[in-house]
Amino acid sequence: MNDADKQDLEATELVRPYVITNGRSLPRESQFSLITLVTATADEQQRPARLSPEEQNLLRMCVGGYLSVAEIAGHTQLPIGVVKILLAALSEAGYLVSRPPVARAPVANLQLLEEVLHGLQSKFG
Amino acid sequence: MTQYIQNPALWALLVVTLVAVALTVRQRGTARKLRQEIAGLRNHYGELESQYSESVHTAQREAEGETRTALKSAMRTLQGLAAEQQRIISGLQRKYGDSVMLQDLLEIDHMNAQFGRRAQSIAVLCEGWLGRHRDVASVYDVVRSAQGRIRHFQRAQILSKVDFGVTSRAVEPVALALAELLDNATSYSSPDTVVEINVRTVPKGVCIVVDDAGVGMNEEEKARAEKLLTSERATGVSGLGNPPQFGFAVIGVLCERFGFTVSVDSTSPYGGVRAVVLLPDELLTSMPEPKQPTASVDPAPPRDVPAQVDAGPSAYENEPEPSLPVATTDDGLPKRRRKRPMALVSTGPSAASGTPKRRSEETAALMAAFKQGTDAGRATHPEAAERPSSTRDASSEGHEVQ
Repeated sequence: MNDADKQDLEATELVRPYVITNGRSLPRESQFSLITLVTATADEQQRPARLSPEEQNLLRMCVGGYLSVAEIAGHTQLPIGVVKILLAALSEAGYLVSRPPVARAPVANLQLLEEVLHGLQSKFG
Repeated sequence: MTQYIQNPALWALLVVTLVAVALTVRQRGTARKLRQEIAGLRNHYGELESQYSESVHTAQREAEGETRTALKSAMRTLQGLAAEQQRIISGLQRKYGDSVMLQDLLEIDHMNAQFGRRAQSIAVLCEGWLGRHRDVASVYDVVRSAQGRIRHFQRAQILSKVDFGVTSRAVEPVALALAELLDNATSYSSPDTVVEINVRTVPKGVCIVVDDAGVGMNEEEKARAEKLLTSERATGVSGLGNPPQFGFAVIGVLCERFGFTVSVDSTSPYGGVRAVVLLPDELLTSMPEPKQPTASVDPAPPRDVPAQVDAGPSAYENEPEPSLPVATTDDGLPKRRRKRPMALVSTGPSAASGTPKRRSEETAALMAAFKQGTDAGRATHPEAAERPSSTRDASSEGHEVQ
């Protein structure tokens, strides 16, 4: 067993995820995918103090740029679905805006990349 | 005189008198004896009575003790199982975090927490195990923990917070006592009302005020509650009524054991009960450090999280500290994110400011790493793809290049 499991044996989280989401249900699949990008709306001062620490943490994280849902979930250590629920609630309240993921780039041409690499190596290496 | 002597009547009288005297003396003796006997019997009876009640008490105590021991060990098992189940549910929640199953897992988690709390309450009454050790937690989190242990937790709303933490020793008892109060508050008020929780600082410590809009308590109930909350209550699980009411008895035991006070004798602004938990300064401490940063540098992130997320911390660690003077403010992590995603979606001026100043060798090394990464990503055999270092390098450096 690894360290995480050992740590888990000691205690589980004091505040359970369903309390963090306040019992809200999962948002629609289409609303948030793993790579949906999210950012906080501009006015930072208007955030009410009523938001939970997790929600405030999410907002703080999203200030100033777009983050993907998966990335946010990774940083918060919360289950992805829980993060989605929080993000949906925050979007509904107008603290967050989301945009569809950046379209997937076409598969890179390996040969081209190799040529670029060789070029770079011959120039700098 | 002689004629009197010859008078048989005199003799008869004398005999009668003598007999009477003798009889009286004898009677007296018997009466005394009888009296003594009665006194003896009475003593004996008293002795027997006290012995009887003593033995009844002893038997009761013994039975109580045995019940307590039996319940205690039974609850210990249940508590252990509930805790274990909670861990498993936590793991599942992480594993299936992105599936619709999460909804059900959250519900199961909720049920499990309620189940655990019941076992814990009975264990407390039997002087048993309270639960595993907790770290220092903020008052707010303790309140939320309590909230999570009752059925209608959505109806409880926390309206104000304070910047205090609860000492690790008191986290579990306070959460449990508060859960019992919230359970009462939500059970005895109509389902569409809200139970308000206010946390305030007072000269003696911190008050957690729970207001419900229920029917309130009459004088008799208040007296009973007051009795249970003070030390006058019966110990153990007896005398809880039928159906047994655990709430106040549990709170009473916890108050006594851990030195906080709970009062329920006032009326809430909505006509229901106002319960006040007063945490003295001894149980309070400063706010705990936010857990997030320590958790996110955890060496073992859940396996299911995509490599993209995995790349975060390592890329962050690789970056030179001095170039990020503000990076370690509160969470450490947000700073890195501010830069990177902006570059990713090119939001204008800040993208230019993020231009890397690298030497050409470094750039070349990065490109090499990039190629290695894409190769690893394309590799068909799984062990190459799974190697955390290569994927991590690949995706993080991939970001760098953009």
